[in-house]
Amino acid sequence: MKKLRNFKLVFGYEFKSLLGKKSTIITTIIMALIVFILFNVPRFMDWFSPAETAEDEKNPYEIITESTGYVFLDEQTGNMLKPMLQIEDEKIFSSREELVAAIENDELKKGFVVEEALKYESIWLDRKLEFEAELVLSEILKQMNISNTLIQKGISPEEVVALQSKEVESTTTVLGKDGTSNTIVAFVLLFIIYMLVIMYGQITSTVIAREKDSRTMELLITSTKASNLILGKVAASGLTAVVQLGTVALAGYIGFVLNKELLPQFIVEALSGTLTKEYLISYLYFTIVGYILYLFLYAALGSTVSKVEDVNSSTAPVSFLFMIGYFITSFSMTNPDSIVVVAGSIVPFTSLMVMPFRTAVDTVPMWQYILSGGLLLATTVLLALLSIRIYRQGTLNYGNKLGFIKSIKMAFNKN
Amino acid sequence: MILEVKDIKKSYGEKEILHGISFKVQSGRAMGFLGRNGAGKSTTIRCMMGVFRQNSGQFLIDNKEFKPEDYRIGYLPEERGMYLKNKVLPQLVYFARLRGGNKEDSIRSAKEWIHFFGLDDYSNKPLETLSKGNQQKIQIAQAFVNDPDILILDEPFSGLDPVNAQIFKNAIADFVQRGKLVIFSSHQMSYVEEVCDDICLIHSGDILLTGSLDDIKRERGFGKLLFKGENVKVNEADTAIKQAFPEVQTEIFDGDSLVIDTKSQYSQEDLLRFITDKGWTIVRFGMFEPSLNDIFISLVGGEEA
Repeated sequence: MKKLRNFKLVFGYEFKSLLGKKSTIITTIIMALIVFILFNVPRFMDWFSPAETAEDEKNPYEIITESTGYVFLDEQTGNMLKPMLQIEDEKIFSSREELVAAIENDELKKGFVVEEALKYESIWLDRKLEFEAELVLSEILKQMNISNTLIQKGISPEEVVALQSKEVESTTTVLGKDGTSNTIVAFVLLFIIYMLVIMYGQITSTVIAREKDSRTMELLITSTKASNLILGKVAASGLTAVVQLGTVALAGYIGFVLNKELLPQFIVEALSGTLTKEYLISYLYFTIVGYILYLFLYAALGSTVSKVEDVNSSTAPVSFLFMIGYFITSFSMTNPDSIVVVAGSIVPFTSLMVMPFRTAVDTVPMWQYILSGGLLLATTVLLALLSIRIYRQGTLNYGNKLGFIKSIKMAFNKN
Repeated sequence: MILEVKDIKKSYGEKEILHGISFKVQSGRAMGFLGRNGAGKSTTIRCMMGVFRQNSGQFLIDNKEFKPEDYRIGYLPEERGMYLKNKVLPQLVYFARLRGGNKEDSIRSAKEWIHFFGLDDYSNKPLETLSKGNQQKIQIAQAFVNDPDILILDEPFSGLDPVNAQIFKNAIADFVQRGKLVIFSSHQMSYVEEVCDDICLIHSGDILLTGSLDDIKRERGFGKLLFKGENVKVNEADTAIKQAFPEVQTEIFDGDSLVIDTKSQYSQEDLLRFITDKGWTIVRFGMFEPSLNDIFISLVGGEEA
């Protein structure tokens, strides 16, 4: 009873200290605002851009007409392209040299010299990532050639147009997971785990190292048990993160609900497609338990140093371990079935990221969920016990920075 | 309550720091735990508080194993430390509650101690905004909140100015009067002499002396006389006395006085007659009672640490 009482006291005090920090409050507000504003972007765009009318409708061939000059060596093709692309007269040149001169004078950015029905040269001032322009023009020329040939063969132009305007009807049925739309949301959520672990892991380590640095630890350790202190601190860090994330999520949800109608369809589909019950359960379980696992690891590492400035070097290996999980997850976007990804989704230190992501893009067998989830939980409990011992042992080592392995050895040393 | 330290041994690696130390502390009597720097005072206290584990030996309270968590203990570690960035009152309340106090009592007691040290204006300010001296007072207040039954204070006077040291001495005296068990380590003899009833002197991990301060002083001064003259140099007086009374042992004390151990061969009157016959003007003559500082230096040697 007394134990639980002191755990609650430590938790309450640490939680209030963390949540009351100016940095926590400011970061939360800024993050919530950013998320809220992001969901409102379509609304702002609506305000600032004038309403579209029929006349304002964009020329679909803008990519091959804007700042683009033409030379038509083949007159027939020119006569057909000019009205179709709505090319202005001043952008039509009589020779290649004139076109080149106009581009060199910076009047135009690019130009096409159409030599035959199916042959052209493109001329660029600076070429960036604009492959589409050539693709579009090639496609138009190809279609025009087919139409012309068909007309020459006696098929009426109306029939040709009718043939060309026919659309293919297709429906997609995905029996497993649709990796194309699910990855975006899953990746955003993965990034949240990443932020959570790196940020709050570091905070937990620092809180503990600072206690040793300021010698508060001796007072604490003589006032209550090490287990109350470690568990209380980890719970406080954990809950602070939940509160912070919850606030941001709430801001996002409000933003989503307010702007649902205005958001591009693919975002709405991606959100509703990914956030299935199965995914959410997997995400919440692996994120929460895995997050706690890392917090204990960071807490144990914080106990091995005596100075706050040593925290970074001491926690670097854990951050590296965590990064491996992040890379495996990125890899699973393209190869969700590979052995590395499957192993990564089962090994405790990487499963917190890989497993939810696999759930989003692939069908995971139940036995793997049970194995991975069980391993994660067991490792977390073991690490909690270990971190309590290291923390307790850490009080005895003022001044020295201990290696992690040495700390573990000392934690089991009777003296 | 009697707290008994029984044959405590403690080593760091191969090096033994405490070589089987034993002493007793009784409630209602303040105990001063003395020793030079590095003598083993803080190690003993840390073992007592369970911060370190001793290699062998026991801490007993009323003949039962002493478990700090079972008692209301006020502890002031040698290495002072509290949360610098946190507010004063909430953290005092936190420490009080961690040691078993209920919320209302802890708040009331923390406020009382803040008031006692005249720091009411700083209650809701972060500890780091206080001066070093005031931070020290908050550290002390932390040991006193919630009226502990046992007070264990490691070097409580270090960093306190004379006025605050006096305030603090009064607070300790009040605790002792109310029958609490008080133990504090120090190397500042004058404070120990004023506050303590009992002392325990540790040197290089061994107890050299333990018991009632009055008894120790009496024992150390037993049969010795102190003479301080005005019209005679201390060296001359020393030579003359040794010639007249060959069996006595003498020792120059404080540079201008002579401590004479008569070895029970001569009476106080014999010596007084000799002095008056010599025509020396007496500034001081009587039974010699050494100060704690004298005892400390004579036992530990060298300068006061």
